[in-house]
Amino acid sequence: MTTQTKPFSILVAALGGEGGGVLSDWIVTAATAMEFPVQSTSVPGVAQRTGATNYYVEFLPVRRSELDGVAPVFALTPSPGRVDLVAATELMEAGRVLQSGFTHPERTTIVASTHREYAVAEKVVPGDGRYNGQTVIDVASKLAKKVHLFDMRQIAQQQGTVINSVLFGAMFGTGVLPLSREACEDAIRQSGKSVKASLNGFQAGFEATSSGKPQPAAATSVPAPASSRAPASFDTIIDGYPEPLHAILRAGVAQLIDYQNAAYAQTYLERVRTVHEVPAAEGVDKIAVTKETARYLALWMSYEDVIRVADLKSRAQRLQRVRDEVGAAPSEPMRVTEFLKPGLDEVCSILPRSLAGMLQSRYKHRAHQLSVGIHLRSDTVLGFSMLCLLRSLRPLRPRTWRFALEQEAISDWLACVRRSLAVPGQLAYEVALAGNVVKGYGETSERGHRNLRTILALAAEIGQKDAAQVTSQVRAERLRALSEGETPSPTVTTGEPVFKPISFMPRNSASTRSD
Amino acid sequence: MERSFAQEVEKLSLGEGELFHGEGILGVTKALLQSGVSYVGGYQGAPISHLIDVLGDAHELLEDLGIYFENSASEAGAAAMLGASINYPIRGAVTWKSTVGTNVASDALSNLSSTGVVGGAMIILGEDYGEGSSIIQERTHSFAMKSQMWLLDPRPNLASIAAAVEKGFELSEASNTPVMMQLRIRACHVHGTFVAKDNKAPLYSMRNRLPKARFDPMSINLPPATYAQEKHKIDQRWPAAVNFVRDNHLNEHFDGDCEDVGIVVCGGLYNGLIGSMQQLGLADAFGKSRIPILVLNVVYPLVPDELSNFCSGKRAVLMVEEGQPNHIEEALESILRRADLQTAVHGKGAFPIAGEYTGEVILKGLSAFIDAATPRNLQSGAVVERALDLTSAKSRAVETLGSPVPVRPPGFCVGCPERPVFAALKMTQRRFGPIHVSADIGCHTFGALAPFQVGSTVLGYGLGLASSSGIGHLMDRRVISIMGDGGFWHGGLTSGVVNAVYNQHDSVLVIMKNGYTSATGTQIIPSSPSQPASKEQVLDIETTLKGVGVKWVKTVPSYKVGKMLEALSDAMTTSTPGLKVVIADGECQLERQRRIRPMIAQMLARKERVVTTRFGIDSDVCTGDHSCIRISGCPSLTIKPNPSALRTDPVASVNNGCVGCGLCGENAHAATLCPSFYKAEIIRNPSWLDRLKHRVRSTIIGWMAGAPRAVA
Repeated sequence: MTTQTKPFSILVAALGGEGGGVLSDWIVTAATAMEFPVQSTSVPGVAQRTGATNYYVEFLPVRRSELDGVAPVFALTPSPGRVDLVAATELMEAGRVLQSGFTHPERTTIVASTHREYAVAEKVVPGDGRYNGQTVIDVASKLAKKVHLFDMRQIAQQQGTVINSVLFGAMFGTGVLPLSREACEDAIRQSGKSVKASLNGFQAGFEATSSGKPQPAAATSVPAPASSRAPASFDTIIDGYPEPLHAILRAGVAQLIDYQNAAYAQTYLERVRTVHEVPAAEGVDKIAVTKETARYLALWMSYEDVIRVADLKSRAQRLQRVRDEVGAAPSEPMRVTEFLKPGLDEVCSILPRSLAGMLQSRYKHRAHQLSVGIHLRSDTVLGFSMLCLLRSLRPLRPRTWRFALEQEAISDWLACVRRSLAVPGQLAYEVALAGNVVKGYGETSERGHRNLRTILALAAEIGQKDAAQVTSQVRAERLRALSEGETPSPTVTTGEPVFKPISFMPRNSASTRSD
Repeated sequence: MERSFAQEVEKLSLGEGELFHGEGILGVTKALLQSGVSYVGGYQGAPISHLIDVLGDAHELLEDLGIYFENSASEAGAAAMLGASINYPIRGAVTWKSTVGTNVASDALSNLSSTGVVGGAMIILGEDYGEGSSIIQERTHSFAMKSQMWLLDPRPNLASIAAAVEKGFELSEASNTPVMMQLRIRACHVHGTFVAKDNKAPLYSMRNRLPKARFDPMSINLPPATYAQEKHKIDQRWPAAVNFVRDNHLNEHFDGDCEDVGIVVCGGLYNGLIGSMQQLGLADAFGKSRIPILVLNVVYPLVPDELSNFCSGKRAVLMVEEGQPNHIEEALESILRRADLQTAVHGKGAFPIAGEYTGEVILKGLSAFIDAATPRNLQSGAVVERALDLTSAKSRAVETLGSPVPVRPPGFCVGCPERPVFAALKMTQRRFGPIHVSADIGCHTFGALAPFQVGSTVLGYGLGLASSSGIGHLMDRRVISIMGDGGFWHGGLTSGVVNAVYNQHDSVLVIMKNGYTSATGTQIIPSSPSQPASKEQVLDIETTLKGVGVKWVKTVPSYKVGKMLEALSDAMTTSTPGLKVVIADGECQLERQRRIRPMIAQMLARKERVVTTRFGIDSDVCTGDHSCIRISGCPSLTIKPNPSALRTDPVASVNNGCVGCGLCGENAHAATLCPSFYKAEIIRNPSWLDRLKHRVRSTIIGWMAGAPRAVA
């Protein structure tokens, strides 16, 4: 009996619906075709519902005929240091395997896709809750013998197939999988479903790992934002600032010209100057403060109102982008429905101050009842011209109620930044960052304004308290504001009272009723 | 159930000597047919659903053999079926998920095991213990002990499992006692092989019916029979079983050269044990062990002399028994005491008291045992060191990673009809403040997870409404209960609805009418839209509710979040007393997609006009606030890096997985979200009219849109 023969063990980590089950079936079929004793197990059910799941395969790379009748005993669960090949369809799932301690630096090869399917926990965060994928990539190389990481989703899309076939090819490409290529490809053929595409995926995956050619980088690394062009006329002013500020200022100027006009962009630079020229106390990173101020000022000055939304939704490149995103061929007709729910605020945002103020004072208390859901068919001439009409109100924007409101709040914020510059330490920087809390539409925007007022009030206490304390308070308040989801405001949103009628007990015990 | 199991059914027809390839639970199904069962029943639940799915598709095969198959209404119903074996020499088998199903079945099981059986009665139990389990962690073993039913726990390879089924029937008949066979989840789903036998037509069947009914007063649970049955159980059946297990060598003994120690292991854990022993150099790839092993394929009843013989002459044994209480270990201790053996028993202590025995746990347990018992022919130190190196991998990894990777629990599928209902429930909570929600068992239990966090209690399958009766009268505002249509028919109708109507509860019930028991693998229920050809749809939830006197019933399409929100608000505020029921009507998306995907593919192939819907988000309009995600959590509604040069937070985005269920649009209005969402309906193979309209519109719109402009 060959005691030194070890079973070869494979752990497939996947998300429900990614074809991990099919992949393990392919492996079983291939091993069976080569007359290797094989066993696979899984914990489905969960797999059906998008959760993290895994499939575990063990086979003995020895023909049954050579085993003189004895059958190997395979484990049903992966075990630390027992796994030869880890195959993950997504980066965090590879991370999950690492975290479970299944990989061993002397034994385990990891093949995984670097793309991300974000977990709910990462998505629900109002700001940026993404886990840093680079960590997993770094740790993988420490805790495994060989590592092959690349964006398999991209390749799968190019090949018009599912990620599992690319992964299968990649597993074979590593050279550690003791199965013949014929057996693997026959297994795919036998499965009978979209064979051609799967085989192409297999080939592509194989090339990615077998050939030494550089593999697509981690999908998690955020691409550097495209630097936006500002007209040359602004260069002289912008170049007057330290180099690190140029990119952000150009972007800001471009955004505001696009939003309103060149004059508005001038105002923007003017406002930045009022901050930048203030002498800063020692220990204050002036560049950083100006940079963040410039960033959030540009965003705030281009606050989203009906005019802006209509503008963005009625552009030539937007029409094309939609087609690209939903995969519609140019020849294919497409209905596009916009979901707009203009309410009191939206209406007021395009009305002159006096009129809007009147409406606000009269209807604010039942604003929640006034918003009407509109399904706007922007692919029809009528619907699209509605957008164009709203878009054309742009010149009137500076006269609107909302505009005045925002500019007022902006100058309060800028004033606070300037004052804080005189305070040694991080306060000015924190106040600048606080500009980020004002964003969004309707209720979200109002909440942002409330939160910023709170922050500015805290910063104003600088007289009484010491800098460090105030700074940390401001910081804490900003983080709270940014992590705060919708704060349920019970019943106030509904007019009607929560009426609980008397509940009668069965007749015989009516006398003893409780409420 | 839109899936077809034709392939699996074929495997069930294999004959003598042919090699069976497939899943463990399918092997069990084949073994049942080889054992000549007359009837099979059961209630779906992971991991045994597959048995029911496959037999459901095996009409012809079953008809040929004359076997009666029933998709029981509940585990209680399935267990009661076994009553057929009490009076008649006919074999029957039922199946369900344990321990939850066994709880439901207990009444029938107690009666069954008290009366005893003539024909073999077999209960196939799918154990869902440990990793990824969706149920309470209890042991089936306790049920076996309280009712004196025998419990098989075969080694998890198909040959052993199939053999256990066949021997199990013999054991059942030899001892006039129902027999349970437990299979852990991975054993049910293990893919392996075994040599098949011919299927056996049952002695009595739908083809060869029983000539006459039999009456025996002693088989009725009434005095004096009840006591007589109890005596018979102890005096006759138990010893008979013990003898049968011993004489037929149902438990296996494997030798090893370290004879001063030994390992007693439950059959189901054998492979895990050997796997770890292989890693520690204590066994080879074929299970040849250095330490003697006694494998208990029958974990109840135990055979005292078998155990004492194995332990005699050993300084110490390791008891490998998963879960708690550790019934077997305690029994072993007392057996050894009675036999006056001083063999030390290591069990819990070397192993954790609770939790699954994964590879890592067994490695630690073995190492602790070796370290304490120091077998003569073994380098204990080396083994312990090796184990330490392996088991410390986890802590090393956690350390290196720093922060743990984000958890990814199961959730609603893309386009699930239950998601919008929970979106509406979350908005209802925002309106009225925190509401007590009695959740239930089913996919909808996921509503308790992020992003919804709706659900205060879960008490059992179909018991959501019943569990609200205690708290309902003590709350200042109405409580909401949730019930799936599966749970409704399983027992929620009586324990929940009827009870609430009779006791005049003033509360709100939401029934998730998605047409199947989706959480168990979308099996058919009495009100399923697509019934098998054999049955026609006769049962309707709304009619049933009216029938038991529910006055206030509203049926709302699941995806209409706005309407749902209004219906719930009405139910919360109406002055109508009594139970208010909102039926959320929307077919399980999994099943729907299984049906329509191929249809659409065919239509496209035939060049017919098809409209496909998808949602999208304008990333330049999205401000990265993600409030849309916090009321959806749809896998296809995700985030991506912000294209803006100024913004830093990721923007929301809809990926290719979108099935266009419409929730995003509904939420955008019902919750007054941002205007970033759009719905795109693409017309494939357009008619000439479509094309004309398209040409005209795009020309004019293109002109109105003007030249592309840069966006920062």
